[in-house]
Amino acid sequence: MELMTPSGGTIFWTVVTFILLVLILGKVAWRPILQMLDEREKRIKESLDQAEKTRIAAQKTMEEQKQIIEAARKEAQEILAKTRKTAEATKDEIVTKAGKEADQLLVKAKRDIELSRDKAMEEIREIAVTLSISATQKLIGKTLNKKEHEALVANSLKSLRGIN
Amino acid sequence: MIQEIAEKVGEHQGAEHVAEHGEAGADFIIHHILAQPLIKLPTIFGVDFTITNHVLMMWIAAAILIVTFGLAFRRRPAVPSGLANALEGLVVYLRDDIILPNLGHEAKAYAPYLLTAFFFVLLCNLLGLVPYGATATGNIAVTGALAICTFMMVQIAGIRKHGLLGYLKHFCPPGMPFLLRFILVPVELISMVTKHFALAIRLFANMIAGHITILALMSLIFFFKNWLITPFPLAIILFSSLLEILIALIQAYVFTILSAVFIGASIAEEH
Repeated sequence: MELMTPSGGTIFWTVVTFILLVLILGKVAWRPILQMLDEREKRIKESLDQAEKTRIAAQKTMEEQKQIIEAARKEAQEILAKTRKTAEATKDEIVTKAGKEADQLLVKAKRDIELSRDKAMEEIREIAVTLSISATQKLIGKTLNKKEHEALVANSLKSLRGIN
Repeated sequence: MIQEIAEKVGEHQGAEHVAEHGEAGADFIIHHILAQPLIKLPTIFGVDFTITNHVLMMWIAAAILIVTFGLAFRRRPAVPSGLANALEGLVVYLRDDIILPNLGHEAKAYAPYLLTAFFFVLLCNLLGLVPYGATATGNIAVTGALAICTFMMVQIAGIRKHGLLGYLKHFCPPGMPFLLRFILVPVELISMVTKHFALAIRLFANMIAGHITILALMSLIFFFKNWLITPFPLAIILFSSLLEILIALIQAYVFTILSAVFIGASIAEEH
């Protein structure tokens, strides 16, 4: 049957055509395409590796930054705590000192007041003695000696104090 | 095609015998499947070098492949687009799913052969579905020649890898009882030939079967001579044609993967 009888000529032409096609396409298509694919795959792999490296580096940097920030925060907190303590101490000192000074001032003021009062009392006494002398002289025309007057004034002052 | 069959049927007008109509249909089918001589060339040493339509279709397929790939990959941008992208997808698929798994480290040497085989067989198959086209791969001489090429590649690959003696030792594995060799060596040799023979027959039969189906269905229209019957064969022809596109792809794939497997087995290390 003709259908199943291979023709030698067609076999020849097929083999020739096919071998030539393999050679031509190998040069025109397959070699460039496969080379291109290899190059691209290599490039993609390199890019991925690079990206991975960059990612790791970035992570490391971030970790470092985190540590630095953590350390800074800790330090700040320490400084704050220390400052607070110092301030507290200073405050206490100042308050204590101020209190002491105020006490001292109070004591001094009291003493001054006492002194001034004593002095004033002395002056009043002297004036009163002088006045009473002159008044008595005018009344009785007689001069009492100073000693008697002073005794009188002291008596009256004593009674004054008793009223007070 | 339809005019021809009408003429054939016309010749039998008057004689209304079903058998004769059937014969006309068969002639028409055979006429469309067989190679038609286009340019008569002399016969040398009993080989007829006549250029048939199948040879012409092969050349057209080869020309289309060279032009398409040449144009698509003339410039090589880093990221291909359009046609180059589509072709590259096919090439990557063939490389990763057929060539590399079967050939491994030797893939580079045999990739051009297998890639060419795939695209050439695919295009020959598909050109048979184009109007006025003919199926070169529906010719036993063409598929036989392609199988011979694969056979030669297998032998070359084996000898290149193991040396002539090392390759011949493959047919006679060591550790085999002496008497068993007289059976197994011929079996190995026969298997080497039959698997390539099957390669040729498989492609040929698959391509021819689809065409015979379509042509037979078409003949039904003229057999019944009734317009009312036409939609049914046409519907089945449409379905068969779509099936043929699928078969064209599958057979190109099968031819390529089997070639890869045979070459891979030939270069495989002794177990």
